[in-house]
Amino acid sequence: MSEKYKFDTMSLHAGHVPDKETGSRAVPIYQTTSYVFNDTDEAAALYNMEVGGHLYTRISNPTVSTLEQRLSALEGGVSSIACSSGMAAMHLVISAICSQGDHIVASNKMYGANINLLQHTMPRFGVETEFVNPNNLDEIKKAIKPNTKLLFGEVIGNPGLDVMDVPSVAKICKENNIPLVIDATFNTPYLMRPFEFGANIVIHSLTKWLGGHGVAIGGVLINGGNFDWGDKKKFPTISGPHFALNGISFWEEFGPSSITAKIRAEGMYNFGPSLSPMNAFYVLQGIETLSLRMKKHMENTSYMLEFLTNHEAVSWVKHPDLKSHPDHKIAKKILPKGSGSIIVFGVKGGREAGKAFIESVQLSSHLANVGDAKTLLIHPGSTTHSHLSSKAMKSAGLTDDMIRLSVGLEDIDDIKKDFEIGFKSILKNN
Amino acid sequence: MNLNYNGNDTFISTGGNNIEFHKPTICFIHGAGQNHFSFTQQTRYFANRGYNVISPDFPGHGFSNGRSNCSIEEDAKWLLGLLEEIGVEKFVLGGHSQGCLTALEISKIKPQALKGIIFIAGASKIPVNDFLIGKATEDPNKAYDLMVTWGHGVQGSFSISEWPGHHHLLEGNSVMRINDISALANDLNSCNNYEGGLNAAKSIKLDCLAVLARFDIMTPLKAGKKLVDAIKNCESHVLNCGHFLPAEKPKELNKIIFQYLKNLEK
Repeated sequence: MSEKYKFDTMSLHAGHVPDKETGSRAVPIYQTTSYVFNDTDEAAALYNMEVGGHLYTRISNPTVSTLEQRLSALEGGVSSIACSSGMAAMHLVISAICSQGDHIVASNKMYGANINLLQHTMPRFGVETEFVNPNNLDEIKKAIKPNTKLLFGEVIGNPGLDVMDVPSVAKICKENNIPLVIDATFNTPYLMRPFEFGANIVIHSLTKWLGGHGVAIGGVLINGGNFDWGDKKKFPTISGPHFALNGISFWEEFGPSSITAKIRAEGMYNFGPSLSPMNAFYVLQGIETLSLRMKKHMENTSYMLEFLTNHEAVSWVKHPDLKSHPDHKIAKKILPKGSGSIIVFGVKGGREAGKAFIESVQLSSHLANVGDAKTLLIHPGSTTHSHLSSKAMKSAGLTDDMIRLSVGLEDIDDIKKDFEIGFKSILKNN
Repeated sequence: MNLNYNGNDTFISTGGNNIEFHKPTICFIHGAGQNHFSFTQQTRYFANRGYNVISPDFPGHGFSNGRSNCSIEEDAKWLLGLLEEIGVEKFVLGGHSQGCLTALEISKIKPQALKGIIFIAGASKIPVNDFLIGKATEDPNKAYDLMVTWGHGVQGSFSISEWPGHHHLLEGNSVMRINDISALANDLNSCNNYEGGLNAAKSIKLDCLAVLARFDIMTPLKAGKKLVDAIKNCESHVLNCGHFLPAEKPKELNKIIFQYLKNLEK
């Protein structure tokens, strides 16, 4: 809707035209903390949010803004705020919508830090969360209370790769007048645009596929402009008078962009999780090749799925593109180009076999990240969750033998050869 | 500010401040299929610079209920009644696009109430092609897409906005979707059918201001210049942007309007 140019073109051009003064074709890096005001009138106008512009890089920056506008365009959103990490984006959204005494419904199949924030940190500030199976629609409906202010989940869950039925969950949210906030990191707008399925706010870790090269931490929240924040009882700090700016009503002043206006005025001001201009530039460079990279990621993922499902050292493989995945049907519907380039699989021989595999591979990198151009691996049983018993891991949806693979862009034959080295070490141990 | 006016809940953006009758008043009139969000970067600006700002959502637009008006004459009567209800007797009108036609009609029927008129991306006659009117009737969402795509200059197409992180086209589309589904078709028909603009312009005795857009393909620059030429005293400026000038070039527009308002007070 309302887009003159197509996705690949906007990946390269959105948010920037060549600089008139210098002719710079690349997006300039505005490495500055602050901006000289032409006069006091201009300064006042910016501070009062009368007009748009930059006054201090904690709040906004021209390079960061280019990134924000590019991401708005790619996701089909009306306004965005880029920040220091995906977790910062999540906290900005929650703190903008929720106050003490409020309630959140969230998926129980999400990234550990998301769970930690909602389960342990937010309750200290009076915001409680009920965790639900994201694809049990009855459970979601039952969990929504009068004080529920948002529903949060991931399109593709990390690390379990559960796929949320976004259209059905969005319908429930609409019926209950609560926004659907969705982490779309694993799919990127190349594979799926959640606003087209009814989501209201999209969050990304820019560190992953959007940046794509493992060089910069960043996050973004993108506003679909498709939620009515006008209920003054339900969203009093958005539609009612707010302490900032002399009792402003963000809803009345900014309408479809009220949530980002509030986050800019309150969250960025008061918490300050700003993205550095340099990191914004790195992410912009990554986005220029997003389509090319995602095509190759998905091609290599397809080859790896075939390779792993037929390998004698592998006990199981999980990926939504496989018919055996419980969410395969919904994945085919909302992710027709593929369900991302993360594969989780189990190796025969349990925790020790997983450890042997990880320590034997040479090309693949053993680290705690996903979405790099390079192939990445982690074995939770010997690293992030090594302190847990097998039973405790199982209750967290993990198993001793599980390896998480982030498929990279190397020649597929070389990735397979590398895995054969790892598998040989397992077979030797067994 | 919310008022019950003509039996309908009516929303009026005042830029966050209360109306104080000793202050001069500027009334912004939105264009076809738009609402008070057209003037997001004008309302707070002028409200904080000593002016009462009245930027109403016409019936069926924005946060106002009711059936949308079906002619420019109806728009003009509705607005004059609203201003009377609020208690404002003298004011400057600032119209954008269709709002310029409404301002011209008011200049004809109640010139004594006006202190000045600002025409933003406007003309004295705004013909609308049958294709767009048809789309607005049959498939309003498609018509919104077309209007925001045609209505923004090159920067809009590339998702460039002076407001950090904002996407002109998609934001413009969301603004239009707030309105009642029949509002755009009624507005476009009102524009297309209004014939009294040129004669009204010729009769204006006030000092006026026109701020036009070089890349406007909704109300082309040529049509805007014809309006300027018809008015006895009309200062004019041309900005490098598309039809949605108040959002595309807010700072330049505000400065020009502010100077005009100061000159009126001399």
